[in-house]
Amino acid sequence: MIYLFQILNGIGLGMLYFLLAVGLSVIFGLLQFVNFAHGAFYLLGAYLTFDLTQRGFSFWAAMPMATLIVAGIAAAIEALLLHRIYKLPHTFHILVTVGLALVIQELVIIAWGPLGGSVPAPEGLQGVVIAGDFIYPQYRLFTIGFTAVLAGLLWWLLEGTRLGAIVRGGSESPSNMALLGYNTMRINTAVFGFGAGLAGLAGALAAPIRGVEPFMGVEALSVAFVVVVIGGMGSYTGALVAGLLVGIVQSVMTTVWPEGARLMIYLGMALVIATMPRGLLGRA
Amino acid sequence: MHPLDKPAVQFGLAVLTVAVLPLFLTSGILATEILIFAMVVAACNLLLGYTGLLSFGQGIFFGVGTYAAGICLTRWQVPVPLVLAGSAILGAAIATLVGWLSIRRQGVYFVMLTLAFSQLFYFMAYTFSGITGGDNGLLGVPRPSLGGAELNAPWSYYTYVAVCFLAIFAILVMVTQSTFGRTLIAIRENEGRAAAIGFPTRLFKIEAFAISGAVTAFGGALHAMLIGVAPLSNIEHHTSELILIMTIIGGSSSLFGSVLGAGFYLLLADALSAVWPRWLLLLGLVLVAVALFLQRGLWGLVERLYDAVLRREPSPTKPAEEH
Amino acid sequence: MLNRRSFLTTSSLAAISLATPGLLGRASAQGAALKIGVPVPISGAFAANGKFATIGAQMAAEEVAKAHGIEVSTLDLDTEGKPATAVRKVQDALAQDGIKLFAGGILSSESLAMGKEIERGGGSFMTTAGADEITGPDCNKATFRWSVPTFGAIDQTVRPIIDALPEAKRWYTITPQYVFGDGLLNAAKAVFAEKGIEHVGNSYHSLTDKEFSGYLTNAISAQPDVLLLLNFGAQSSDTLRQAVSFGLKQRMTIVVAWASGLEQFEALGPDICEGVYFGAQYWHGADTPLNRELVARVQEKHGFNPNYSFAGSYIISKLLLDAAAKAGSAEGSAVIGQLEGLKYTGLTGEEEIRAADHQVIKDYYLLKGKAKDAMAGKDDYVDIISSGKSFLSAEQSGCKMTA
Repeated sequence: MIYLFQILNGIGLGMLYFLLAVGLSVIFGLLQFVNFAHGAFYLLGAYLTFDLTQRGFSFWAAMPMATLIVAGIAAAIEALLLHRIYKLPHTFHILVTVGLALVIQELVIIAWGPLGGSVPAPEGLQGVVIAGDFIYPQYRLFTIGFTAVLAGLLWWLLEGTRLGAIVRGGSESPSNMALLGYNTMRINTAVFGFGAGLAGLAGALAAPIRGVEPFMGVEALSVAFVVVVIGGMGSYTGALVAGLLVGIVQSVMTTVWPEGARLMIYLGMALVIATMPRGLLGRA
Repeated sequence: MHPLDKPAVQFGLAVLTVAVLPLFLTSGILATEILIFAMVVAACNLLLGYTGLLSFGQGIFFGVGTYAAGICLTRWQVPVPLVLAGSAILGAAIATLVGWLSIRRQGVYFVMLTLAFSQLFYFMAYTFSGITGGDNGLLGVPRPSLGGAELNAPWSYYTYVAVCFLAIFAILVMVTQSTFGRTLIAIRENEGRAAAIGFPTRLFKIEAFAISGAVTAFGGALHAMLIGVAPLSNIEHHTSELILIMTIIGGSSSLFGSVLGAGFYLLLADALSAVWPRWLLLLGLVLVAVALFLQRGLWGLVERLYDAVLRREPSPTKPAEEH
Repeated sequence: MLNRRSFLTTSSLAAISLATPGLLGRASAQGAALKIGVPVPISGAFAANGKFATIGAQMAAEEVAKAHGIEVSTLDLDTEGKPATAVRKVQDALAQDGIKLFAGGILSSESLAMGKEIERGGGSFMTTAGADEITGPDCNKATFRWSVPTFGAIDQTVRPIIDALPEAKRWYTITPQYVFGDGLLNAAKAVFAEKGIEHVGNSYHSLTDKEFSGYLTNAISAQPDVLLLLNFGAQSSDTLRQAVSFGLKQRMTIVVAWASGLEQFEALGPDICEGVYFGAQYWHGADTPLNRELVARVQEKHGFNPNYSFAGSYIISKLLLDAAAKAGSAEGSAVIGQLEGLKYTGLTGEEEIRAADHQVIKDYYLLKGKAKDAMAGKDDYVDIISSGKSFLSAEQSGCKMTA
């Protein structure tokens, strides 16, 4: 019975992990860019939500505002800074984004202090759902539903629209896109802002669950990397499947062998790369 | 080849560094830490600059060396030279394993694989606390003694480390100048061609990993003796990141660049952290600036200065990746 | 070379070369003045503690300077939360600045490593870190510890709650997997066995976990009456927040055995704290003469109430500096001689430094979160339920002091 509960809980976790990772995956898929600042955008999203709700905005207003602000900041960073280094080796992607992550993290401490804080779940979602022995917070249930809807929307956006086709076309052959008259630079900026905005949204959604503290981005980044690598870089469905997988494994392991949960996850990550280099569902 | 890249010049600069550090630094501890990281970073450079492998796993080997020294010295009182040799061998063995598994993949997948291994080894060190001391680490690691006297004074241990550093640096310079080293560069430039000529490219890469791992573990062992403890943080992925950042800042086109990178980073961190609690912000800006304006690292800056002052004619411009 | 001292912080980049401990041209200000090193995490994941600890030490230095009419300066050493950095900074302070007094070390791993180094360097060190080994198997002549170890923390929280809630027979524990967590867990198990409590389960987690829903699901299915959290800092805040969101406050009593006090309550907010029991080393509302005095002075000077990081750092700095001033020397042996066996009026009332293992014998507090509308001021998060001293004897602690 407990395993069933853990699997259900793992699905809830996994949906959050998916949201966290999918932005990273999109950025990598289109830009071939390794973004170590992804966790910092998650951090920023969470803190903006914290700040806005403290100022009296309702969570429902704060969440989209935080997402948009993060997306805007990220797009600005891309347009001013990152687009200059796409062509350089990955080493420099890592250097710049590690630097950016440090800058954002320290700015967060300067702006909001080192202590952290709590964000209350929105009105009406503060209770729990009880089914027999299983208890689950309403807010977590909401995030599952919300993320599922969002996942559908993303799928449609990336796979079913002209925009998605442009994005995918840009990733496969930037020069062709340029020939067709598309401004790849502008597409890149938009995609980076979009991916980072998703991380900001994940942060906003996670804030009422985890609270906020200045180092939450570090853990989020490592989770996002694991999910993206297992799922396959640039793969939307892969991020979903791997996010759920990691969430469920982590949750079930807390009952079976808690000390080994992380070992299992990283061993799994190594195994996947060693045997299936493109990840479970990556595009070849 | 740039005149500064000649092996004799490189080694001369290393000797100069060892001689000059005591003149400019009052802290023997900091000077010793710079030399230890200088060799560790040079070993990372052997992979990054010479073989084109961006390894996020250097912290594994550093931690392994730290723990090997910690265990051998606190539990069994093994003589220090044996400990250092043993750490290097163990580092080489583990690096061979990690390298053998990692080089199956290329580009970002290789990076991610080394990252996964680095996390894996961290959690192993954390979980098997009976061996590693877990979060508390292994305490009371003694300094080596020479002729019956323990090298407790910072500058006397500095001398010990300096000798090790020069020996290691000389070996690394020789490795990069050998046929083996030239082949590594050939592999980096064009792996397909190198394989077509008949080089066992995978074997060469694994060997580069082994050498890098041996040197890194050796440095880890020296570090444990420096600070008297084998801490869990030495095997964290943060250590890997640090080594990599120092390598890139120094510039990956020359071994001495790594010495510059280690020295620059450690001195900067020490100075900034004393001035402002939020010094990581400034460090972040430095990293961004290096990526934007100093893509050949500090070494590239040195080369440019040398050309400007001594040659007065610009050397043909080289792309960032070229040696 | 005043730049590194905490009372003169400069952000001028030009000052960097001068401030570098290593670079030439740095003369340490030798002389009659007393100097104390404050090795605490100022950057990194425990930066919040370091921030208050440095102000606390500063205040102690000013007071001692005034009381004894001497010059006292503090030197902040950013350990970055890493033992390697901590040790290097301490070695430098010993060798370069001639500093022999050290007050700090919030993390156990740092404190254990620094203690060894300070002993080797002939100094003295007082810490607030939690690991039992500090005044247990890894004790040494130079190291003193102000905070109550795991045994007392459990005895002063678990025992009074068992007595107050006789019908709560089933307890579940969530424990970080390392020596400190095991210390708390073993102490709790001993009390459970003695009191006939059923320990219905335990979940271990790693020090990097931030997601506790899985562990909470385990806890729920064991149907305990009391949930005892044995982790600390950000992890205990995360666990508590998530436990509250799972509605556990309505279904069981929640106890956080090792809370950090005010700084943690501020991060959690009153809604989460309400009704939860917390064990704490210090609370600014404690009704003791020295504490009332301290709170008044900190309010006047800084406009906030002292939290645990502040108060701990304040008292350990003050003890060390007073001892050195009285001994007329900052040398380790002189200061240690003054401190061993010292009885004094401390922040928690009468306190005593046990000579055999260098453990300070002091009160540990059991607090309970108040409802938001019952709070008298913005920091009035809790009521003190009880307080008292519980310690293993020096022999039981496993300390063998080598002279």
